[in-house]
Amino acid sequence: MNLLKYRIKTFCKYKDLVKELVQRDLKLKYRRSFLGYLWSILNPLLVMIIMAVVFSQIFKKKIVNFPVYLFTGRMLYDFLKQSTTGAMKSVVGNASLLKKVYMPKYIFTFAKVTSCMVDMVFSMGALVIVMILTRAPFYWEFLLCPVVILQLYIFCCGLGFFLAQLNVFFRDVQYIYNAVLTGWMYMTPIVYSIDMIDSRELLFVIKGLNPLYYYVAQFRDLIYYGRLPGPRIFWGGWLIAFLMLAIGVWSFQRAKDKFILYI
Amino acid sequence: MAKYVIDVDHLSIRFNLASEKVDNLKEYVIKMVKHELLFQELLALDDVSLKIQKGESWGLVGTNGSGKSTLLKTISGILQPYKGTVKTKGKIAPLIELGAGFDGNLTARENIYLNGLVLGHSRKFMEEHFDEIVEFANLKKFLDSPIKNYSSGMKARLGFAVATMVNPDILIVDEVLEVGDYNFRKRCNERMQQMLSGGTTLLFVSHNLQTVRQLCDHAIWLDKGKVRMAGRADEVCDAYKEEQDQMARKKKEAKRRKLQKSGKPYDYLVVGAGLYGAVFAREMTKLGKRCLVIDKRSHIGGNIYTEDVDGIQVHKYGAHIFHTSNTEVWKYVNKLSEFNNYINSPVAVYKDELYNLPFNMNTFSKLWGIRKPQEVKEKIASQIRELGITEPANLEEQALSLVGRDVYEKLIKGYTEKQWGRECKDLPAFIIRRLPLRFTYDNNYFNDRYQGIPMEGYTQIVEKLLDNIDVMLDTDFFAYRREHPEMFQRVLFTGMIDEYYEFCYGHLEYRTVRFETERLEEENYQGNAVVNYTDREVPYTRIIEHKHFAEEKEKQNPKAFTIISREYSEEWKPGSEPYYPVNDAKNNALYEQYRQLAEKEENVLFGGRLGSYRYYDMDKTIEAALQAVRDEVHRGSSGK
Repeated sequence: MNLLKYRIKTFCKYKDLVKELVQRDLKLKYRRSFLGYLWSILNPLLVMIIMAVVFSQIFKKKIVNFPVYLFTGRMLYDFLKQSTTGAMKSVVGNASLLKKVYMPKYIFTFAKVTSCMVDMVFSMGALVIVMILTRAPFYWEFLLCPVVILQLYIFCCGLGFFLAQLNVFFRDVQYIYNAVLTGWMYMTPIVYSIDMIDSRELLFVIKGLNPLYYYVAQFRDLIYYGRLPGPRIFWGGWLIAFLMLAIGVWSFQRAKDKFILYI
Repeated sequence: MAKYVIDVDHLSIRFNLASEKVDNLKEYVIKMVKHELLFQELLALDDVSLKIQKGESWGLVGTNGSGKSTLLKTISGILQPYKGTVKTKGKIAPLIELGAGFDGNLTARENIYLNGLVLGHSRKFMEEHFDEIVEFANLKKFLDSPIKNYSSGMKARLGFAVATMVNPDILIVDEVLEVGDYNFRKRCNERMQQMLSGGTTLLFVSHNLQTVRQLCDHAIWLDKGKVRMAGRADEVCDAYKEEQDQMARKKKEAKRRKLQKSGKPYDYLVVGAGLYGAVFAREMTKLGKRCLVIDKRSHIGGNIYTEDVDGIQVHKYGAHIFHTSNTEVWKYVNKLSEFNNYINSPVAVYKDELYNLPFNMNTFSKLWGIRKPQEVKEKIASQIRELGITEPANLEEQALSLVGRDVYEKLIKGYTEKQWGRECKDLPAFIIRRLPLRFTYDNNYFNDRYQGIPMEGYTQIVEKLLDNIDVMLDTDFFAYRREHPEMFQRVLFTGMIDEYYEFCYGHLEYRTVRFETERLEEENYQGNAVVNYTDREVPYTRIIEHKHFAEEKEKQNPKAFTIISREYSEEWKPGSEPYYPVNDAKNNALYEQYRQLAEKEENVLFGGRLGSYRYYDMDKTIEAALQAVRDEVHRGSSGK
């Protein structure tokens, strides 16, 4: 109990640092670009327009309002990809600092995931624009989407911690994870609809083993379909998030004292 | 237990050398199969214990890789102990690297916040102290430009300011202050002193023992991860330096032996490790030539050699006071050593009377009880008139015609006779051409613009000049030339030129001085560095009291004893120590003959007081040596 109290105390001590690091990430991302923060919205918008044009040609109207459908999936996937890749490199990348000043090592990982999350919230603006342009209906359930974002955020933190510590010992992880991410994207119904799949095995893999499916499905329920998610994906989402967090924290905690020898 | 701020108890830190390189899976698997993963262990720290109380300041010394930084990192929490424990109390400010955590793309303002937060301060705290930091770093103008445009000095300043703005309980400094300009270092040192007096505990790593001595009251010496010695800073530093010196000497010796074995000849063989030879060897080495310096004495420095006797620098071969009007030379020597502000104002004792030297208004007013320059001038003129000497036939008449009877009788006659060992009447007039009389109350003996004595003695200057140059002491040139004629190409000979030619035309004459050095158990013997005895009955010409050459040292560290040297002027005989060339017509003519022989030499240069049979002050010696170097370079570039 004392240890927990101590942990919370140190975290409070460094919370300003997390804030500053998040701000730094966001500031530096668009520093010296003419449109600045607007790119947070414009960038996904442009990508989305291209993808929407390309894929709507391929799938020929099998999905109603394809841009919104695509956007809701793509947004979460982008967040997962950016936050975890960033988190993976956070310990190694700040080696020079960690070698010279004592601070809790998870700060950098945590800050990275957080700044990606903030970035994603910005791109919600782009989503709204797309919805307005395509005359998509707004449902009141839209207001519940922070719950899903929170779930995914917790999940990404956990995965980020796990990858960050692993990367310290084996730099190969970066390349392996890159491949995993590509596979992960195709295993998630982002550009296609789950109804298009007939193979039972594949369905099982997507619905049962792919954590991202839980979040994308919930997100789409709220925004695209305008209904409350079913209990299986809702509670499953929470469960997976905390499970991942537990694995991440445990592995990170176990390895953190050895970091200094390897970075 | 509670009274220690830092308590390191049997601490060991283990590094796994192999694991430093294994950071990919392939190698990991290979090494695992080969069972090599944990084999190359290194104990960076091995059973180190250290207890530090509040307010103490500890210096960490040791060679590279001895574990100093590892210890600091463990204390600041960056590294975890492998065995043993580390306990600290209070806020730690680590200065392992200044500006660690600066982001080049952010502005200084943003970086100050970021860096402060990295060190564990809150945003609010940073806002309160922001102005103070900017003030100390002195970077107000550049606050909003990205830090990547900063110079490294500016970055260091900012880093130091951020790290030390709070009065931390423990300040950890790892060599970071070696960068930055003099002013910055000075300010950092001041700041640290200030923090120390405020009760901060300091841990300080530096290769500069001087700074360690200055800042720290305790020191710990680490050697290959083990504690070699811990205790008072002075003692530890001394012991450490002693060993360092010994290692350096061994290395140098080994190198020299290897070179000698390899038989590669030196470009220059410099005979005589005095000031002239040392300057020449230094400059030639700078130009990429290899020099070997030999000396038949068992020490370097020639006649400017000073010996440290219990904290007093004793001028073994007579008093040496550096004075020059040549700014270049003054700069040259100041690069080698710090000089004090000694000003030579000798005092003359005649029977029981005491006079200031050189002859100035202080002297005259004491002599005649008058105090106006005009009166003095008239007095001297009238004395000269009374004597009515028109053609001075000898030294006595010459001196009388210049200064009158009183000054001559009391201050010149006895002294000169003792110096030359002859009656003034029997000395030629030309020895004294003029006798400067000063009609001001000014006791400064020299008229030069710069004057002083090197703070650590002259030997140290020559040591510095000969740093990294091969030196062989107790080596006679003629014997060495016989045994190793192939070891050198050119020779600079600063010994006696007539000896070089085996006195083929006869001996050149010198005046010599004998010193009787004595240690007296009293604080202050004569109250002045130089006292001349101008009365014939006293056998010695002057007494030097060495501690007065370094009054600043005496003030810092008063001693209950003193060391004096009585100087006796003696007739020179072949074989005794030659001091002053006797540049009379006969000897000059003899030297001319030798010089003509010397000019025909292809590969031998002559220089210095004995090599060119001329009296040189130290500044003139340096000038002459530098000129000789220029001539050599010129000779080399014009292809002989």
